[in-house]
Amino acid sequence: MHADERERGPSGDPDRLTGGPRDGFARTLTAASWVLWLASLAAIWAFVAGVGAVDVAGLLHIDGLTVTMWAVVAFFTGIVHTYSLRYMAGNEGRGRFFVGVSAFAATVGLLVAADHVAVFAAAWLGMGLIMAELIGHARSWPQAREAARLARRSFLASSLLVAAGLGALAWAAGSTTLTGILAGVDALPRWARLAAGAALALGAVVQSALAPFQGWLMSSMTAPTPASALMHAGFVNAGGLLLARTAPVFAAEPFLLGSLAVLGTASALLGKVWKSVQPDLKRRLGSSTVAQMGFMVLQAGLGLFAAAITHLVLHGFYKAYRFLAAGTGIARESPGADAEVSPLGVAGSTVALGTGLASAVLFAVLTGKGLHLDGGLVLAGLVALTGVHAARQVARRANLRDSWRYGALPLIGLPAVALYAGAYRLVRGLMADVPASSSPVELTFLHGALAAAFLTTYIALETGVHRRSRRLYAWLLNAGQPRPETVLTSREEYDDH
Amino acid sequence: MTTEQDLRDIVEGAAESIPRAWPLHSFVTANPLAGFEHEPFPEAVRQAEELFGGRGYPEASVFDRALREGRIDDQVLSEELAAHGFDAEPAALLERADSRDRAGTDHEHPAAERVDRLMAKWLSAFLDEGRANWSMPDREDGFYHAFRKIAPHDGQIPDNGDLAIPEHPTEALAQALAPYPEDEWRRILEHHLAALPGWTQLIKRRQNADDPWQEAAPIDLFAYAAARLALADHLDAPIEPPTRSAPSEARAPVEEAFLAAWERTYREDLVESVQARARAADEGDERPTTQLAFCIDTRSEVLRRHLEDVGDHETHGYAGFFGVPIEYEAFSEERSHGACPPILTPEHPVEERPTDDDVADRYEETTSLLDTALSMVTSLKKNPATAFPFVEHTGAGYGAALSARTLVPGRVRDLLDRLADRVPSPASFCEPSLEGLDLDAQIEYAANAFHLMGIDTFAPVFVFVGHASETANNPFDASLDCGACAGNPGGPNARLLARICNREPVREALAEVGIEIPEDTVFLAAEHTTTTDEVAIFPSPERDRHAAIVDELAADLAEAGQRTAAERWGADDPAKAADEARRRAADWSQTRPEWGLAGNAAFVIARREVPAGLDLDGRAFLHSYDWRADDEGNALEAILTGPWVVTEWINMHYYFASVDNATWGSGSKVTQTPVGNVVTVQGNGGDAATGLPKESLVDVDGRLQHQPLRLSTVVEAPVDRVRAVLAEHDHLEDLVANGWLSLTVVDPTRDHEAVAFQGDRPPTEAEPEAAQIRARADEHT
Repeated sequence: MHADERERGPSGDPDRLTGGPRDGFARTLTAASWVLWLASLAAIWAFVAGVGAVDVAGLLHIDGLTVTMWAVVAFFTGIVHTYSLRYMAGNEGRGRFFVGVSAFAATVGLLVAADHVAVFAAAWLGMGLIMAELIGHARSWPQAREAARLARRSFLASSLLVAAGLGALAWAAGSTTLTGILAGVDALPRWARLAAGAALALGAVVQSALAPFQGWLMSSMTAPTPASALMHAGFVNAGGLLLARTAPVFAAEPFLLGSLAVLGTASALLGKVWKSVQPDLKRRLGSSTVAQMGFMVLQAGLGLFAAAITHLVLHGFYKAYRFLAAGTGIARESPGADAEVSPLGVAGSTVALGTGLASAVLFAVLTGKGLHLDGGLVLAGLVALTGVHAARQVARRANLRDSWRYGALPLIGLPAVALYAGAYRLVRGLMADVPASSSPVELTFLHGALAAAFLTTYIALETGVHRRSRRLYAWLLNAGQPRPETVLTSREEYDDH
Repeated sequence: MTTEQDLRDIVEGAAESIPRAWPLHSFVTANPLAGFEHEPFPEAVRQAEELFGGRGYPEASVFDRALREGRIDDQVLSEELAAHGFDAEPAALLERADSRDRAGTDHEHPAAERVDRLMAKWLSAFLDEGRANWSMPDREDGFYHAFRKIAPHDGQIPDNGDLAIPEHPTEALAQALAPYPEDEWRRILEHHLAALPGWTQLIKRRQNADDPWQEAAPIDLFAYAAARLALADHLDAPIEPPTRSAPSEARAPVEEAFLAAWERTYREDLVESVQARARAADEGDERPTTQLAFCIDTRSEVLRRHLEDVGDHETHGYAGFFGVPIEYEAFSEERSHGACPPILTPEHPVEERPTDDDVADRYEETTSLLDTALSMVTSLKKNPATAFPFVEHTGAGYGAALSARTLVPGRVRDLLDRLADRVPSPASFCEPSLEGLDLDAQIEYAANAFHLMGIDTFAPVFVFVGHASETANNPFDASLDCGACAGNPGGPNARLLARICNREPVREALAEVGIEIPEDTVFLAAEHTTTTDEVAIFPSPERDRHAAIVDELAADLAEAGQRTAAERWGADDPAKAADEARRRAADWSQTRPEWGLAGNAAFVIARREVPAGLDLDGRAFLHSYDWRADDEGNALEAILTGPWVVTEWINMHYYFASVDNATWGSGSKVTQTPVGNVVTVQGNGGDAATGLPKESLVDVDGRLQHQPLRLSTVVEAPVDRVRAVLAEHDHLEDLVANGWLSLTVVDPTRDHEAVAFQGDRPPTEAEPEAAQIRARADEHT
């Protein structure tokens, strides 16, 4: 029976083409992002090859941090654009979305190059407004509009704080450029440093959704997934950028650094614990971001601003991946399915402790953090703990061959540490001319307390002692809840246009 | 004094209008208005709109477009409009229809909204299947008690210190309902159950299911209603629903007329084609080289057509679970699942057992290494101290993965395939166990298959072809797998039946009942991946007996698959189309990897030769049926009570989800978030978004890929036989009489005359449809 002999059924429509986006506008913007990324790589090369920092008419100052962030932001923009070509196909506001992503990239690019305080503040505000637009992308959906409104309010507050802080500094220093201000930080009166530093720190913390300002982030899931990816990879880390840019102000005031370290640690631990009770995937990712941004701020609080920048870049890769892969992992599972584990034993313990020590030593040697009694030691300690934990997990598995049980983790883990060290050194090198980018603080009792907080939480979670408290569970679950007006209880209100 | 049992009965009655919804990992497309099937369709829609909001008929713009594309014949339309009592111009009628106010749900009282939010929060925590590390305390005591114990600590409940939830759910219900007359209770409870329809649907499915999660954390609608009403009471939220709006109208809305006209245009064309083919079909006496039994799924139609073009292959349609209701446990999985339609109970436990222990050991070692890696990573991620170094040390890796998966997804898939090739696949060293089926059961299922399909001559190679899908980053991938296997791949069932049919004792017994299988016939199994249209024949020792035939079949399947892909994607070059299909399957940013059953509109139950000559555009379910071999009508009864009901579920789900995706579907994938491994929600949470997403139904240019038509069934059988089956099964008769689908019988004993069973008129003998319409029109003038 040949095809031409066959009768056509009732609904044949051979002209219909399905699949494959044909949107020229979106493709142009996508191509532009990748071109910009290549240009940013060229900028890095030029910078390293000896061109050095470039000043533009007292408005811009393009240094190592700038070119690094240009490359990172352009990369994320390119990825989000390419992903959205297919993912956002058929979405009515698609053109608007692509423009929003490009505009976001442009604003962040301006922010990291800004020298004049007004330019910086304007870019900070612009970035926030654009992100709020992306959160409220589905304009006909009331809950999305509410989420955007909430985000906008938070970002306005943060912009006011940043503007106030920069304004105070500019006034006190008698200079309107960051380079000018930061050059004379030591000469500034203490009150100016403390007041401005506090305002800037608060602005940073709001934008990075640290506790207790996580509300806008937990209510932002009305954003299309790629916008969330961009948000968690390229927006929330603005706080870290701000701190790195104004590092000398903080470096001059140990009190400010200490406060940052405390705020950071609190969010780092809280975010993780909030995550453990949420069943909702994007909320889990949001809690994780709160925690990771807390860690970034902690690193800043330890005076390790280059490490904070490295962290925000690597975290960006991680979180963007997790968001863009949000649809994976639905599979039938059994309640309480546990792998066969055997007790650790002598061999296992040795391997675990050994791996921990080796990782920490490698980390310290390659990155320089932990070689002295300074802030870096806290980080090295965490690396040690991680190594121990990971090796312990693997060594306990009963049904693995011995050589794998004991050898696999060190074999994979140590190179991973080296890879991180490579990234860190790259960033630190590029940031070499950024004032105070690596000024680790002296260890004090406070740092001991923070380290103890990490250790205690680790042990508590491992032993499960917290599970006895229902009150704690309820509080944790509620802390990660979105604002009521952003929750869709009546399905017919949903409108994706 | 109302007892617990009384209250439970009232709750059950109130829950009748709520359909069941399945979790994402076992997605079943069921009729969202299943609770209203005893009503005529227009009335059911009106009641559902009142209870749940939304719309039950397509928008005017959809009809408009259909008219412009010529899918609704003008003559038919005027006949239908007249028959339904409308006399204005179609365009004017559509305009009026759109501006008509729907019953809709009123804006909720703020306290009621608060109750909804709180309930949604606790339900998502309770129903979580393994996503939260620290799950809700006291789940094992059941929802009511778990809620009762945690509510006093919930800071989002005002005055939670004064919360006094009764100890027993019966008390809670009795207390909350006490101020109202008992004959109102059912209506009140129905309103409360319908407030968060997504979650209620999930609970309803779960409460009677044999599900390990239900054992670990029991919940039922009674407990939910009690908890909800207790909370509503505490918050002073209204218990009573707002008063009922408009009463039933005398006649159906104008959309019903338009829809009927659209369906009739499609159906008349279909019936004409079927009649022509049925009269002309030449069966031929030669023994075919191969025979293949595919699932009735609409996607099979396209492949079958191309396969028969390419070579001497005889294809049949049969339910995708191949008639064996099993509880299947794959070698690589930790728990079993039911592999049969949800209307049946899985009766036989079947395991995938290794036949070669060495290979099995190798496989286990590799998987346990991967398992270990995964659990180590999970453990590092969740711990507050280790998560930070973890992110730093793996960040670069994630960056690389991010780039690769976005920019070169095809290469990533190829790489993963190559790596997977190094690990033996379970199908190559395992076979399905037979202990769960005794010999009688085995004989029964084998006999049923051949009897229902009307096969009496056997080719040397007979293949049972199950189907599955392959998509990346898709929470709805189970919705694309075989619906007859409850959202699972159909391969295991095919392998089981093939194994059964190859057994000597079974063949001997079949011979005794008149099914003579030649000595040289071998049975094989295969799986059709509907996303890429590739068909993989499972390894089997039987394959060697006809190696040449099987090799040629494999080659033909590859060719046919490419042509199918070309037809699907509207491409000219089959090889390129196949590449595009593979790319779509692997691309994590692709929200429309394949269309699944979108477009389904017909079910043809006839001899295989009838649809074999037709191009039904992938819109028809096809079941082979030979009326001459079924004098008792048992095979027809089995098809109508089984597969037909499943197709009605599918058709109705696609219909409602495309008519109003916000209310009956889950909205756009773009803003969804998966919750608890069970369901997705839109945005920040709230009601569970059950149902198919917009991207399964609407194309990139905003066009509905699924035309919202109710199922047109065409059966090639004597009219009396069909009437007898309907008489035996009230539910089926109701479906037809109430207009949920239409049934046309092409009677071979009367020169394939078409008899229509439809609407509210009893079936009449040999009265063509046009005459029926005229008769109705006469009634109205």
